[in-house]
Amino acid sequence: MQDNIKLEIKLPKVQDIELVALEGLELMSSHLGIDEEKNGEARILVTEAIINGLEHSGKETPYVTVEFTMTKEKLVILVTDYGKGFIPDEVKEPAIEEKINAENKRGWGLKLMKSMSDDFIIESGKNGTKITLTKHLV
Amino acid sequence: MISDFNLISEIKNNSLVMATEGYINNNGGQKITEEFYDKKNDDINKVILNLEKTKVVNSIGISFLIEIIEKLNESGGKLVFTNLDPSIDKTFTIMGLFHFAKKADSIEEALTME
Repeated sequence: MQDNIKLEIKLPKVQDIELVALEGLELMSSHLGIDEEKNGEARILVTEAIINGLEHSGKETPYVTVEFTMTKEKLVILVTDYGKGFIPDEVKEPAIEEKINAENKRGWGLKLMKSMSDDFIIESGKNGTKITLTKHLV
Repeated sequence: MISDFNLISEIKNNSLVMATEGYINNNGGQKITEEFYDKKNDDINKVILNLEKTKVVNSIGISFLIEIIEKLNESGGKLVFTNLDPSIDKTFTIMGLFHFAKKADSIEEALTME
C-alpha cells in the first residue's frame, strides 16, 4: 500500500468547487485508514483554505492551486491563490461578541485555520498568497 | 457527495425544529435563515437545529447561523444545536458560538432544555 499520497489540483472559482478537493481528501483518508474525527477536522481546514483563496483570487486569476500530501501521520495542505495579496497581521481576529449585532458576520477563515491546524504558515505578496497547513492525524 | 442541501422543519412544543442534510455553505445558511424567518413567531422562543446529516460547514454558512442567534437573543429565545459532528462542534467552539447558543445530544434533550 502506498503510504505517502500526493494530490495536486487546480480549482476554478465555481460555486462549491471545494467539494472536489474534499472528495479527493476522503479517498486519500480512506486509503490510509485515517480516523474519522481527524478527517472531519481536515475537511474544515481544506474547505476554509480553498474558499479563502478563491475569495482573494481576483478577477484576472480566478482559481487556486491545491496540494495535499498525506501520510498516516500527517496531512499537509497547500493552497495558493494569485490575487493581489494582503497583510495578514492587519487582519483583525474576529470575536463572537463583536459579530453578534454587527452587519458583517464573516471573516472567520484565518482564525479557524490557525486554531484547527497544528501548524499554519501564510505567505502573502503582490502576486498572491500561499497558505500551508499541517494537521497531525494520529 | 455532499453538495445537495435539504432542510425540513416542524413545530414541536413551541419550538421550531429544523433538520439539515448536506453542506452548510452560503446557500445552505441562507435557506436555514429563510426558514427561520418564515416559521418564527411570538410563541416560539427556542429553535433547534439538528445537524445529524451535515458533515461539512464553512464559515460563510455559519455567519447565517450567527444571525439567527442574534435574532433569538434579541427576543429572549435560544438556538440549540443537536447531533453535532465532532469537527463541527470544534468549529463552533473555536468561533465562540456556545457563548450565545446551546448544544444537546438529541432533539429530545434540546426540547427539555430551559
